[in-house]
Amino acid sequence: MGFLLTTLIFVAIGIIASICVRICCNKGPSANLFHLTLVITATVCCWLMWAIVYLAQMNPLIVPILSESE
Amino acid sequence: MGETLPTMDLMRSEPMQLARIIIPIESAHRTISYLGDLGLFQFKDLNSGKSPFQRTFATQIKRCGEMARKLRFFRVQMAKAGLLVLARSAYGSEISLDELEVKLGELETELIEMNANTEKLQRAYNELLEYKLVLQKAGDFFHHAQSSATAQQREYEEHRLVEGSMDSPLLLEQEMTTDISKQVKLGYVSGLVPREKSMAFERILFRTTRGNVFLKQNVVEEPVMDPVQGDKVEKNVFVVFYSGERAKNKVLKICDAFGANRYPFTDDIGKRHQMINEVSGKLSELKTTIDVGTLHWSSVVQTIANQFEQWTNLVKKEKSIYHTLNTLSFDVTKKCLVAEGWCPVFATTQIQKALQRATVDSNSQIGAIFEVLHTKESPPTYFRTNKFTSAFQEIVDAYGVAKYQEANPGLFTIVTFPFLFAVMFGDWGHGICLFLATLFLILREKKYSSQKLGDIMEMAFGGRYVILMMSIFSIYTGFIYNEFFSVPFELFGRSAYACRDPSCGDATTIGMIKVRDTYPFGVDPMWHGTRSELPFLNSLKMKMSILLGVAQMNLGILLSYFNAKFFQNDINIWYQFIPQMIFLNSLFGYLSLLIIVKWCTGSQADLYHIMIYMFLSPTDDLGENQLFWGQKYLQILLLLLALVAVPWMLIPKPLILKKQHEERHRGQAYAPLYSLDENIESDLDYKSHDEHEEFEFSEVLVHQLIHTIEFVLGSVSNTASYLRLWALSLAHSELSSVFYEKVLLLAWGFDNVIILVIGIIVFIFATVGVLLVMETLSAFLHALRLHWVEFQNKFYEGDGYKFSPFSFALTSDEDED
Repeated sequence: MGFLLTTLIFVAIGIIASICVRICCNKGPSANLFHLTLVITATVCCWLMWAIVYLAQMNPLIVPILSESE
Repeated sequence: MGETLPTMDLMRSEPMQLARIIIPIESAHRTISYLGDLGLFQFKDLNSGKSPFQRTFATQIKRCGEMARKLRFFRVQMAKAGLLVLARSAYGSEISLDELEVKLGELETELIEMNANTEKLQRAYNELLEYKLVLQKAGDFFHHAQSSATAQQREYEEHRLVEGSMDSPLLLEQEMTTDISKQVKLGYVSGLVPREKSMAFERILFRTTRGNVFLKQNVVEEPVMDPVQGDKVEKNVFVVFYSGERAKNKVLKICDAFGANRYPFTDDIGKRHQMINEVSGKLSELKTTIDVGTLHWSSVVQTIANQFEQWTNLVKKEKSIYHTLNTLSFDVTKKCLVAEGWCPVFATTQIQKALQRATVDSNSQIGAIFEVLHTKESPPTYFRTNKFTSAFQEIVDAYGVAKYQEANPGLFTIVTFPFLFAVMFGDWGHGICLFLATLFLILREKKYSSQKLGDIMEMAFGGRYVILMMSIFSIYTGFIYNEFFSVPFELFGRSAYACRDPSCGDATTIGMIKVRDTYPFGVDPMWHGTRSELPFLNSLKMKMSILLGVAQMNLGILLSYFNAKFFQNDINIWYQFIPQMIFLNSLFGYLSLLIIVKWCTGSQADLYHIMIYMFLSPTDDLGENQLFWGQKYLQILLLLLALVAVPWMLIPKPLILKKQHEERHRGQAYAPLYSLDENIESDLDYKSHDEHEEFEFSEVLVHQLIHTIEFVLGSVSNTASYLRLWALSLAHSELSSVFYEKVLLLAWGFDNVIILVIGIIVFIFATVGVLLVMETLSAFLHALRLHWVEFQNKFYEGDGYKFSPFSFALTSDEDED
């Protein structure tokens, strides 16, 4: 799928989530900013974790060596 | 720098103001009551110098205390009747405090009287029961004794008649005279003695009277209610025969000492039967009287129970109102009360409306005055949280309440805390279990919030939204680590690895190769169970921990920038934020960059080697550890920047503060004139202003030195501290895999249904006990530590105090027994 493509998917999910939250609970500018911050933080955390695990597997230095019993 | 950043909920404390309310006396009570309903005003104690007895409303509080005592007495009576307090019975007419006082007094005297009467009657009843027993049992002795005595007498008489004619008349006379003179008065005492003491009773009687008494005991089969002690005791009926006055006194004293109750007795059968009938009659009368009394008592207690909750709440409310009234100062000249306190700025209109309503409702001519005071005192911190955010805010407050208007870490904690927990807990099977458990708590929210729960349950219920977030993130990281109770699945596409040749001959020696694109989401499922799984995962998780740690620490330093900007503290921006950013990022930001570059290029460079030799011999050639062009020069530059950043953090700030202080002092040569009114808070201003003026240069320098050392050394230790993310995650996956392979698969391998069932049960218990409970607590604790120490020490001061308004809802929660 590629790194960039999935990153764009994460960005898209983040934008959709922010819009959904804005539609569901629209309670004034300070509350909206608060919800937006939470959504963005959550999206960034999730993307960071995925990106780290993906990058680590892109050019592996060690490969799976099956154990004897299998 | 004109525009200010837009405000955000929970980012900083609500703006607070110090306000003064002047209330006329007639509407004081009602005003405080309405403010208590509103719950947005924190009263300052203006009478802190006075003792509790000197305060204005001490008598009222004593009255409330008396009423509370009466209510406690009622509660004991209700417990005796086995009635439960009806929770929050909302019906019932409004009742004033004076009426309630009178009513409570009446009910108390009535109950006390009824209790005393019942006790007296019960005691009389028990005594009569004992008397009846004595009459019955002792009657048996006498009857038995008399019948044998008459039998003996008849024998003797017969004997005498037979032999009488032969005897000498002199002997006869002697016998008769001795008979008459020997007619000593035999007295007897009858009663009941407790069975356990009966042996001792007998022995003591024997010893003290030198064997000159005769004791006959008879056992009573069932235990008897003792009138003095009021509980059932096993007793014996006894009759003691003695001769003489001295013996009688001794016997009576011994009876009293042993708690033996004495009852009068006649040996006349006719009279005895009469007595028994009388006693039986009296007993049945007493019983009916006692029953009627108890019925009346329980009906009174029932009526109390119906209104108990309402009365208790009223008394508590009034007591808290009077405590608050005691904190107001009494302005005698103007015949009104003055209240000072903190309230949020947004609540101003609400408070003013409450004051107006109180004025109208108490038919007062003068309205209350609400004015805002200006002060340099530090206000309390207030965050408006809802049921979701309050748990996270409490987690932050447990470490320290935010200083007024500094950046609140609770804002980010809502997301980062469950996220870091999930990094350590990653398993989507366990995540689903946690999710279901907490969903249960949330669905039963309304029911549980009104109940009284045990301590542990209370904590779990209070943190239900935290656990919900934790479980959702755990499901996500479980998918990334590809672990479902430690079993991987190929959910997102095909695994990237395959054998080198179709026979898979060297799969166990050299291993597989990467034939397709990287597995799109998460860890490749091929890794699980291989020999090189641990080296790979360890490397991945350690580097991930470093990257996440550097990201969170940078966020912390960034928040300190926002704080400095908000408080318009330019020194902190230039001489603290910037050198800190430079230092952290030139060392650990560079390490993160190296990690990412190494992953992207697949180079075999040794990062430990690079970092260590960057310090030891920066000018050396990198050789095979070169990751990108110009790396050597970049490293030298970063090293120099880090070295420069340290004195940049240490030296300029104290010098500039000293210069600022001197400039301020030069302008303070002339003291300003104070106006005559508003004396109080200007005094306050002067005092706090005075405190600001103390400036010890050495103290500031030492403070800055400590801060710098803490940051520099802390940057290494804090970054290493984030490796706990790796450690706990490893522990979790290893435990999970052990339980799966060594319990479940082992039980499956035996092909026996019973062993399989036992295996499943053991697996479930081990998973719930160790992984779902212990690991959750453990990961919770470590995520908490990472937030409290590594994240918050970059920017948080946390030396504020919490806003605790006068509110009836809060006081009723506190006082629950």
